[in-house]
Amino acid sequence: MGLNLEKAIYNIVDRADSLVFYCDHTGKILMCNKKFKETIGMPSDSIIGCDCIKVIYHRLQSVSGKEHLFKAMLDDAVKYKRPSNFESLLSDGSGSEHTICWGMSPILTNNNELEGILFLGNDVSLSKQREVSLKNIDETLKNIFLSIKEYALYAVNLQGNITYYGMGAEDMFGWPRKEIIFKHISTLHSYDDVAYKLTFILEQVRNFGRYELESYFINKEGQSFPVNLTVTKFIDASGNMAGYIFMAKDITEKRKLEYQIFQSEKLAAVGQLVAGIAHEINNPVFVISGRTDMLLENKSLHKKVKSDLKIINAQIDQIRKLVDRFLAFTRKTLPNIKELDINKAIKDVLPLLEYHKQPCNEIKVSKVFAKGLPKVKGDSHQLQEVFVNLLINAYQAMAGGGILTIKTINKSNEHVEITIGDTGCGIPPDALRNLFMPFFSTKKEGTGLGLSICYNIIKNHNGTITVESQVGKGTTFTIKLPFAKKGGKNGL
Amino acid sequence: MVYKILVVDDEAPVRDLFEDLFKKEGYSVKSVATGEESLELVAKEDFDVVLMDIKLTGMSGLEALKRIKDLKPGIVVIMITGFGYDEELISKSKEYGCAGYIGKNMPISQMVSSFKLFIKAAKEKTK
Repeated sequence: MGLNLEKAIYNIVDRADSLVFYCDHTGKILMCNKKFKETIGMPSDSIIGCDCIKVIYHRLQSVSGKEHLFKAMLDDAVKYKRPSNFESLLSDGSGSEHTICWGMSPILTNNNELEGILFLGNDVSLSKQREVSLKNIDETLKNIFLSIKEYALYAVNLQGNITYYGMGAEDMFGWPRKEIIFKHISTLHSYDDVAYKLTFILEQVRNFGRYELESYFINKEGQSFPVNLTVTKFIDASGNMAGYIFMAKDITEKRKLEYQIFQSEKLAAVGQLVAGIAHEINNPVFVISGRTDMLLENKSLHKKVKSDLKIINAQIDQIRKLVDRFLAFTRKTLPNIKELDINKAIKDVLPLLEYHKQPCNEIKVSKVFAKGLPKVKGDSHQLQEVFVNLLINAYQAMAGGGILTIKTINKSNEHVEITIGDTGCGIPPDALRNLFMPFFSTKKEGTGLGLSICYNIIKNHNGTITVESQVGKGTTFTIKLPFAKKGGKNGL
Repeated sequence: MVYKILVVDDEAPVRDLFEDLFKKEGYSVKSVATGEESLELVAKEDFDVVLMDIKLTGMSGLEALKRIKDLKPGIVVIMITGFGYDEELISKSKEYGCAGYIGKNMPISQMVSSFKLFIKAAKEKTK
C-alpha cells in the first residue's frame, strides 16, 4: 500500500504540467519530472546531480547575472527555511525563452532540519506576453489618441475636468496640454455654451450615449470659431461610465465656403430678378418716350403742352437711366480674354488714383509684386475695373490717412492671390454680409453697384473675391485668379 | 426708298408705336404679336425688313429669326430687346444672320437712325 502510494505520487508528479525538481541544500538536483526535462531539453543524466542554477541557466547567456537572484533566493530558503515565490527566465532546447513562476518550498525533517528544496514552476510566458501586448496596445492607443491632428480629441471625467487632451486639441485651442489638463471643460467653451448648452449636451450623452452639434469654441486668445462637435460616453474597462469623450472639428473653412456659395446663389437670384424687372420697365418706358418724342415733333403744339411734354420726357429719361444702371449689373459682356500680366494690369491703373488723393490725406502705398508671376487669362479692362473700384474704395475708407497695401502672391503655381488692404474705417459686420449685393452701399453718393460688378467680373474669370474687415482697423480684399497654364511656370 | 416693314412684338403699345413711327417716316408697316404669325406672314408676303423682339410668347425671337432667314435669306432682320446689352444674345443673333440689334432703352430718335443705318448696311452687303 505504502509502496503504491509512493509510486502514485511519483507518477502524478512526473506527469504534471508543472516543472518540478527537488534539490539538496547546495542546489544539487536530486530528482525532476518529465516536464522539467522537456522544457530544459536535456536528458536526466545531464540533470541529476548537477547544480540547479547551471541547469536552468545553461543556455541563457544573454541574461547572465540573473542567476545571482536565483542563488540568493536559494540561499534564503536554506538560511530561513521559508517558502518563497519568484520568476526566472528559462531557455528551452529550441532556444526560445520562457518565463517561469517558481514556488520554492523547503522540505524539513521531523527535527526541523532542512532536507531539501522542492521547486514547482509554472510557465507563465503566454499570459506574460498578453500582459506586455496589452500594455503596448494601451500605449499605442494613447499615442494614436494624442497624435490625431485633424480633430481635437479630449476627454473629461464625470466632474468635467479634462483628463486626456490630444495634439489636435492643442492646435485647435492653442492651450498646451500641460496647462489645460485637469482644468474644467468650461475653459474651452464660451460663456453661453457653458450656461445653456454644455449641461444639456452632457445630459443627452448620459441618457443616449452620444450627441452631435455645431457650436462655437474659444481658443486661448479668446477668439471664437465654429466647430462640429461630437460627444460620446467614455466607458472604462469595467463597463462603467467614466466621463465624456469630445471630438471637435474646426469648420471655419467649411463655413466660409458655404457662405461663398450662399452669396453667389443669392447674387445670381438677384441678378435674374433685376434683369426681369428692368425688361418689364423698359417696354412701357420705351412706348412713353417714343410717344412724347413723336408729339414733340409737332411744330404747332401749344407752348405749355410742349414744356409739359419736355418735363415728361426728362422724367422718363431718369427712369431709363435707372434701368440702365440695373442692367449694368446684369450686363452680360463677353470678356475679351487674353493672357495678361496681372502685375502690369495693376501698375497701369495706379496713376488713376492720383485723382482720388486728397492733398490733406497722408496715404502711404506699399506695393509688393511677386516676381516671375505666370500669366493669367482674362480681360484686362474688366480686371482693371475691379482694381480701380477696390483701390478707390480703399482711398475713400482712409479719409484720415493710412497705409494702402497692394500685394500679389504666387500661390503654389496654381493661382495668383491679389490683396488690396487699407487701414481705414473698416466695415461693420452687418454691412460686410451684404457687401457684394447690388444696390447696397455704405456711401451716400454710391450706386451700390461697384462691388457687385467686381464680384461678377471675378466670378466670370473663374476666380474668387473675398473680404475681411474690422471696424477701426481696416479692410482687405483678396482676389484669387487661376493662372493661364496649369502648373504656372511657362506662362511668361 | 419705301421699305415694307414687319414688326413682331407681343406688346400692343409697342407694336402701335412702331407702326406710327414708321408710317410717319413713310414706310409701309404691318405688325404681329408672335413668331409663329410672323413666319406665316413672311411666307405669304414680301417684306424688306423684320423688326423682331427677342422675348416673345411662344416661339422665341431668336428661333423666329433663324426660320425667317432660312425661308427668305434676303430679308433684313433687326432684333429689339428690353434686356439691354447682352453679348450672348447679340452673338447668337449674329450667328443666325440678324442685321442689327436695338435696345429699347435707346431714345427714339437714336433708335430710328440706327434702324436706317442697319438697313442701309445690310442692303449694301447683299448688293
